Amino acid sequence: MKRLLVVDDSKLMRDMVAACLRPLGAVTFEFAGSGLEAIERLALAGFDLVVLDLNMPDVGGVEVIEFVRSQDRLRALPILIVTTRGDDESRARVLQAGASGFLAKPFAPAQILDEVRRLLPSSVT
Amino acid sequence: MTERVDLQEFIGGFVVEAAELVTAANAALLEIEAGHAEGTSRPKAVRDVFRALHTIKGLAGMVGVEAIVDIAHGLETLIRTADRAGGQLSRAAVEVALQGVRAIGERVRAVSEQRTPAAAPPRLLEAIASTDATGDAPAVAPQVSAELDARLSPSERAQLANAVAAGAPAWMLSFAPSESNAARGVTIGSVRSRLATLGEIVKVAPRTVTGPSGAQLGIAFDILVVSSAPRETLADAIAASLESVAPVLAPPPPVAQAPLPAGPGAEPSTRELAERDDATADVVPIGRAVIRVELSRLDELQEQLSLLTVSRFRLEREIAAMADAGHDVRRLRQVADLQGRQLRDLRRAILRARMVRVAEVLEPLSLLVRSLARSSERAVRLELDARDTELDKAVADRLLPAMVHLVRNAVDHAIEPAAERRARGKPEAGTIRVACTEIAGNQLELVVSDDGRGIDRAAIARRSERTIDHDADLLDVLCGPGFSTRDVATRTSGRGLGMDIVRRIAVSDLGGELRLATTPGAGTSFTMRIPLTISIVEVFAFACGRQAFVVPVSAIEEIFEIADAGITPPSAPGGRSQVSLLERRGRAIPMFSLGRELAIDDGAAARKAMVIRRGGEAVAFSVDRMLGRQEVVVRAIDDPLVQAPGIAGATDLGDGRPTLVLDLGELGLAARERQLP
Amino acid sequence: MTATLHVTFRVGNATYAVAASDVLHLESYDTATHVPGAPSYVAGLVQVRGRLVPVIDLRIRFGLPPADASAPGPPASQAAIDRRVVVLQLGTRVAGLVVDSAREVLKIEDTAFERPPEIVVHQTAGFVKAVATVAKRMYLLVDLPRILGEELDHG
Repeated sequence: MKRLLVVDDSKLMRDMVAACLRPLGAVTFEFAGSGLEAIERLALAGFDLVVLDLNMPDVGGVEVIEFVRSQDRLRALPILIVTTRGDDESRARVLQAGASGFLAKPFAPAQILDEVRRLLPSSVT
Repeated sequence: MTERVDLQEFIGGFVVEAAELVTAANAALLEIEAGHAEGTSRPKAVRDVFRALHTIKGLAGMVGVEAIVDIAHGLETLIRTADRAGGQLSRAAVEVALQGVRAIGERVRAVSEQRTPAAAPPRLLEAIASTDATGDAPAVAPQVSAELDARLSPSERAQLANAVAAGAPAWMLSFAPSESNAARGVTIGSVRSRLATLGEIVKVAPRTVTGPSGAQLGIAFDILVVSSAPRETLADAIAASLESVAPVLAPPPPVAQAPLPAGPGAEPSTRELAERDDATADVVPIGRAVIRVELSRLDELQEQLSLLTVSRFRLEREIAAMADAGHDVRRLRQVADLQGRQLRDLRRAILRARMVRVAEVLEPLSLLVRSLARSSERAVRLELDARDTELDKAVADRLLPAMVHLVRNAVDHAIEPAAERRARGKPEAGTIRVACTEIAGNQLELVVSDDGRGIDRAAIARRSERTIDHDADLLDVLCGPGFSTRDVATRTSGRGLGMDIVRRIAVSDLGGELRLATTPGAGTSFTMRIPLTISIVEVFAFACGRQAFVVPVSAIEEIFEIADAGITPPSAPGGRSQVSLLERRGRAIPMFSLGRELAIDDGAAARKAMVIRRGGEAVAFSVDRMLGRQEVVVRAIDDPLVQAPGIAGATDLGDGRPTLVLDLGELGLAARERQLP
Repeated sequence: MTATLHVTFRVGNATYAVAASDVLHLESYDTATHVPGAPSYVAGLVQVRGRLVPVIDLRIRFGLPPADASAPGPPASQAAIDRRVVVLQLGTRVAGLVVDSAREVLKIEDTAFERPPEIVVHQTAGFVKAVATVAKRMYLLVDLPRILGEELDHG
């Protein structure tokens, strides 16, 4: 079973992401509503992948990525960024900070499914 | 084996969240505007508007409502500029942002009603794009350490400066999350909620905790807070010791801020600023767990509850039958009684779930007053005072249009132009006050009052060609169909036809009363009394003869032991409505026997007297004995067959049988009248 | 040739009928909460399936002497056990009729109903609007609006 952490301050968005990724099969979802909450959860438990929205009320997504990457045990954690700022500059900044993948909103269900499949370590059908 | 996921099924959730975000954006914009009037900036509110719009944009994009994406995108850009410049949004920007948010709201409503939302209006988009976000106000600079300053964004810097200028100290708290903390429910989320009630959070930043050898031991959160709370309280809020709460270098001296273009009105005192910041925290309910429930689901619950009540009734009968057959049913009865109490609690809880807070229902009135004031070029403010009153959602839905009409009329007809008000020695801005309180007899009283010019009785009498002696007559005329005090339609109220609708809603639809009181030159107030179809009321239960009754606790002034009080018996024995006199603190209060008034018995067994007050006068009723005090759900009695004076409704004390709720005030009046020759 | 289902019940010596489509529930009846100030034929309020229902005692409404076991408490006689309340819907109103006992539910041809003879109209004070004889039994069709006091509104 793969553990996925979905981070977005909109409950609707969290539900939609989970719905898009359910076809993965053997996955469980946990949710966080803010960057800080995400950092806390990642510090206290192990996850296989994080889907992270950049626009958070407390801590910016880039800061979250940088902080997570600064933790030794989380260096290899796949982080998929989801954001409405789909421009190249944002994308570059985010990838430079250490994100593993980048997806612009709005996205189609198939797109996020493909990205997550690509990022998860072993094959999950 | 990929399924096809259709995000359209999330449209319902989108409508709910988008509506909430629109409300949040409006509230924040109104707050920023209030700040303009006082010459202060509201950087946190600016951030809140930005985030709300950014989120709406993302969600709308996901479910495919392009029109909303376009408007939100434009507004987002506008507000980001302001946020980067220290969190000050110019008046022009607030105005256009409110228009934009309204346009978004309309489209969200269209989606909820399954209509196609209109495309984003090009002129609005142009206006948004060309508005100057920040105007010419300079940024403010707090004096904190360079290291701290470097970590703050311009907006956060401004927020810190504002809060500190109000006189509260700044602290840096260090919260360490841990599994044991999380198990106890202490997480960064809960800590933030707690701190938000104690002061203002400026910034939260994560930090890696390293050991002496450089090994990473975990993480901590640094929280920059401005709060007047004692250090111990703050430490308690983060479940840590005092060392984790460090003062941020002495609060900077009040920075000489170049004031923003201030509106009319005096400079606020620093205390007012602090209070207002607290009030802001109240406006955004952080940490309050709320979910939206469809009304039909509550109806289902009530149906199930009714069935439970029926089966409990049958259980009682079976137990009675067993007792008759000679079995020992004591323990069975105990269980049945327990179940009865639990059922009663369940009933109460379900009915409470249907209640909405009046303050929330009336929230849209603020925005309404604002836009009405704009278009009629008056300065008007709205005061809303609903305390904790709640009412059934069904009643609330019917009430709001009536309130809207009354408020519209007040802005339109009552509040004078600024010059006229000045000449009369009134403050330039007119005040409309909407107050809601619960009153005895299971009613809600809503008052819409203004300090405007009052209603010119003589002018109305002339126009309507009727004599008007009292305010009641005046109300009649105003509520007459087709009546208008203006020959020309006014821009906001149409032809002033609102009043007949208001009376229809208050009196016919909701079974209440509508009253008017007006003083020329000083102001007008409309009072609506609405009987609550379902409401939860604390009552005293008492017995008269073999029947139990209840009366709202709020209606009772005092309860006497008859044996203790000095009673003068009625002078003319026999017949109904004999009045005894009850001596209370040197005064005599008329006392009626409830048993006699309700034709139950002769009242000889009465041991207790309850004193009520109606219309400034005290009256007492004697009853057999008091049965206790409890919270009950009261329902109105609609059918004409069972309507009688003094019967205000019925409730269930837990035995499955209706128990009548009495309006002793009404009974007192009826009793008095019978006395008159 | 349409036949409609009717619910029948006994009050005193006669058997009455009411269209089954008007009937919401048929419940056993114990007591009602007396409402002081209501007309004498109104027994009071009862709670049926969570709903507050005003009930009319048909014996009193029809001018008959009240039944013996009208005091609250455990059922003292068969008569009390048999008593029922017929809960009806009339427009938006819901009300109940307390009857001595419930009888069968049966189909009555529309054509079987005739105008009641003068003496019946007189004895029942206009509460009966038609009479039908089915299998040698006579059923009196009640005028619900009149029983519930509807015409008082226009009065």
